[in-house]
Amino acid sequence: MSSDLLQFTNVVKDFGGNRVVDGIDFTVAEGEFFTLLGPSGCGKTTTLRLLAGLEVPNAGEIVLQGRCLAAPAKGVWVPPDKRNVGMMFQSYAIWPHLTVFENVAFPLRVRREAEDVIRRRVGEALELVGLEGLVERGATQLSGGQQQRVALARSIVYTPSLLLLDEPLSNLDVKLREQMRTELRALQLRLNLAVVYVTHDQGEAMALSDRIAVVNEGRLEQVGTPAEVYEHPSTRFVGDFLGRTVVVRGTVRKDGGRSRVAIGDKGEVGMPADVGDQFQDGDSVRVLARPEDVTLERADAAGPNRITGTVEAITYMGDHLEYTVQAAGRSLALAAGKKDRYAVGSEIKLVFDPANITILR
Amino acid sequence: MSAPSLPISGAAGPQSGIAGFRFTEMLALLFFGVVMVLPVLSLLVSSFNVAPPGQPAVYGFSNWIEAFSDSNTLSSLWTSFALSTVRLIPSMTLAVLVAWLIARTDMPGGNVVEVLCWFAFFVPDFPLTLAWILLLDPHFGFLNSMAKSLHLVDGPLFNPYSFWGIVWVHLGTGGIWFKVILLTPLFRRLGATLEEAARVAGADTMTTLRRITIPVMAPMILAIAVLSFIRGLESFNTELLLGVPADIYVYGTRIYDYIQDEPPEYGQATALGSVFFVILAVIAIFYRRFFKGERKFAVITGQGYSTARIGLGRWRYVALGGFIVWFLVMMVMPLVFLIIGSFMRRYGFFNLSDPFTLHHWKSLFTDPIFLGSLKNSLMIAGATALLGVLLYSAVGYLLGSPRKPKSGPVIEFFCWLPWVIPGILLGLGVLWIFLSTPLSTVLYGTILGIALALTIQDSPVSTQAFKAGFLQLGQDLEESARVTGASWFYTYRRILLPLIAPVAMTVAMLNFGSAMTTISIPVLLYSAQSRPLSILLLEYSYTGELERAAALGLLITVIICTMIIIGRRFGLLQMTRSEEGPVR
Repeated sequence: MSSDLLQFTNVVKDFGGNRVVDGIDFTVAEGEFFTLLGPSGCGKTTTLRLLAGLEVPNAGEIVLQGRCLAAPAKGVWVPPDKRNVGMMFQSYAIWPHLTVFENVAFPLRVRREAEDVIRRRVGEALELVGLEGLVERGATQLSGGQQQRVALARSIVYTPSLLLLDEPLSNLDVKLREQMRTELRALQLRLNLAVVYVTHDQGEAMALSDRIAVVNEGRLEQVGTPAEVYEHPSTRFVGDFLGRTVVVRGTVRKDGGRSRVAIGDKGEVGMPADVGDQFQDGDSVRVLARPEDVTLERADAAGPNRITGTVEAITYMGDHLEYTVQAAGRSLALAAGKKDRYAVGSEIKLVFDPANITILR
Repeated sequence: MSAPSLPISGAAGPQSGIAGFRFTEMLALLFFGVVMVLPVLSLLVSSFNVAPPGQPAVYGFSNWIEAFSDSNTLSSLWTSFALSTVRLIPSMTLAVLVAWLIARTDMPGGNVVEVLCWFAFFVPDFPLTLAWILLLDPHFGFLNSMAKSLHLVDGPLFNPYSFWGIVWVHLGTGGIWFKVILLTPLFRRLGATLEEAARVAGADTMTTLRRITIPVMAPMILAIAVLSFIRGLESFNTELLLGVPADIYVYGTRIYDYIQDEPPEYGQATALGSVFFVILAVIAIFYRRFFKGERKFAVITGQGYSTARIGLGRWRYVALGGFIVWFLVMMVMPLVFLIIGSFMRRYGFFNLSDPFTLHHWKSLFTDPIFLGSLKNSLMIAGATALLGVLLYSAVGYLLGSPRKPKSGPVIEFFCWLPWVIPGILLGLGVLWIFLSTPLSTVLYGTILGIALALTIQDSPVSTQAFKAGFLQLGQDLEESARVTGASWFYTYRRILLPLIAPVAMTVAMLNFGSAMTTISIPVLLYSAQSRPLSILLLEYSYTGELERAAALGLLITVIICTMIIIGRRFGLLQMTRSEEGPVR
């Protein structure tokens, strides 16, 4: 674990009796893009602020590059200005009384760099974010996107060991957001910068991250690559938060080497090969799948991993159709192409892909 | 550039980063404890002290008994209430109307109107009252002479030395303009959406104002009304000039009267002061009760913000005309007569062969007492402005900080306390402390002592201004500087201070202006060596030198206006650079 840049170990933060961060644990490697994803009020921003030194933890330990930044048990706490991390605020926090140049130069002036060094490095940073030429502009005369670039330049100009980003894209309009997302990722890769990114937007998290930590009520629900957390959510919360899910209840059936989940008398779904050992015969479980991983077939089609359902309603969505299907006592929303159409009230088969389902107790 | 991997020694402790914050908090508590609570306590205690100051204390109830067996006491309390209530109604109505016209309608010249209100707010009330005497005095008042010469009436038409005279003068002095200044940004922030919704729903302009705008603003309008009412109870200058000659005493002038007695009746004065303080405290407590949880009306958000203004049609010219008439009558006319008065050999005698003279101005500038007082006043006002900015920026930072100090409510309470302690009472309490401490030589009758007392009085508005300023800045601007590596003091110097400078400038200007013109506080604290201009003005008008008083009153007005112009220069520079930023 010593190769990790950041170790955030079992950190606890209370606000007046409210446990906002409840034993959060993670590590970030050199050059890794690490995202804290969760709904508002889940503790992700507090986690970031703990990292920056803007909040004092009640327990736990934060170690960056082998240097302990905060450990209440040992009486260690490093103030924010001594941590050498960069942080971009959701509001960008551009100082309105300073020009673009002076905003970006501020961290270097604090570090008492020579004037020519400042000039060169501010120039480089502004070039990196594509703002060369706006140097002497008053910081408040900029558009939202430009302000964001200034904030980014300001937080990387002093080559911090870690860059913290607090929902940096949430104040931009959709088009600009996508553009900035791409640029941000490219920049991060180019500088090989370790980033801790906070967002509530699962799409953003998927597109940007090397790894995602899903946060809920002050705890980490799951940490993994985007594909891992999306395709194999370890909890119902993660599954729901990362997108729509299809959930059906069933019972584990084991005979010989094969493990299956029986969904009442409606059919069976094979279990993913690696999870069979975790369940006993007769266990009551839930099967989670993404709607796009469930296909619809005519009721007379035969084969494994199929359960029977009834079409309740059809919504025309333009490029596809959305079926509301009654299956195993639940209403499931499933998308399907326009090629095959099924009438309301007709019986159909739902086909699961054992490689793309998650079994939860 | 990678960070040194040195573990920080355990000695610092996790709380070290906010130790400075705690320290400031403790300091603020200590300061307020000493300067706010002590005077009030000493006032209460000394009201039971029947021995004169400086002598060993003897306690008893005789002060209270004497004060209340005097029918004058009760009548002065009653007059205070009556005056404050009666003038609240027209002034509040006018202020709401003007603020709404400026902020929410297409009345032409709204910005100019607002600037005029700021100007009028800074015109001190004492010279204005003098001006009204010049205009309305039964014997030599210009308007009365005019009416007589036109044979409209037999006797004097107007009498300023009356209940209604006091009410009238107050329609043109500071308070009403201040209300406009406070209300205008509130109306502005209201935004148009709520009103637009009402218009779409079928309400006309007046119905919308009556049924939507004013009810939504009601909690804030009411808050300002209560605060003005309390301030009205404490009003002193006008009542002294206009009330005392007609034997109309308000509670402040009554206390002043007790102390002017030979020997001074400190005991009765403090007893009366204590009663009044109790009454005010009750009002204040009810006020706080009432407004707790009233925040639900603050629906004034940035969401769907629209600044579209209400079209008044032809009425917009009527509105502007009305304001201009009001301003001309209440502000320009008195000032013009103040100027005329200062140049007249004998005011009111226009038919003298050579009625105009520079004599009063000359004698003013050659009067060594005037020169000394000018110096005193500038030093007192300068010290008050500086002390206020230093002190209340720190307190405002504490209160506006997202870290929410534990003692926040207590500090907030202390900050508001001077609002309910009338100047004369504060002066009395401070006087009592000055006399009874070993520091009396440094504080009693000195410039520093007066400045300190004036600074205390400035606490509510100054603290709130700084608090609002820091709240508006938000924590991000400060925190982002900290994260980039700046220490707290560097952040304060390079980020917070420049951003808060416009607020500091405004606070300094307000405090400078009120220090130049307040009479009620220095009147009990000055000595021959520290006499400020406001007291000199009082003396001139008492000894009947109205022409010289007019000249001095004008001079004070000019000094304050100069300060505003200089101040705005500096303030404006800051504001234009941060025009679209979070400041303003």
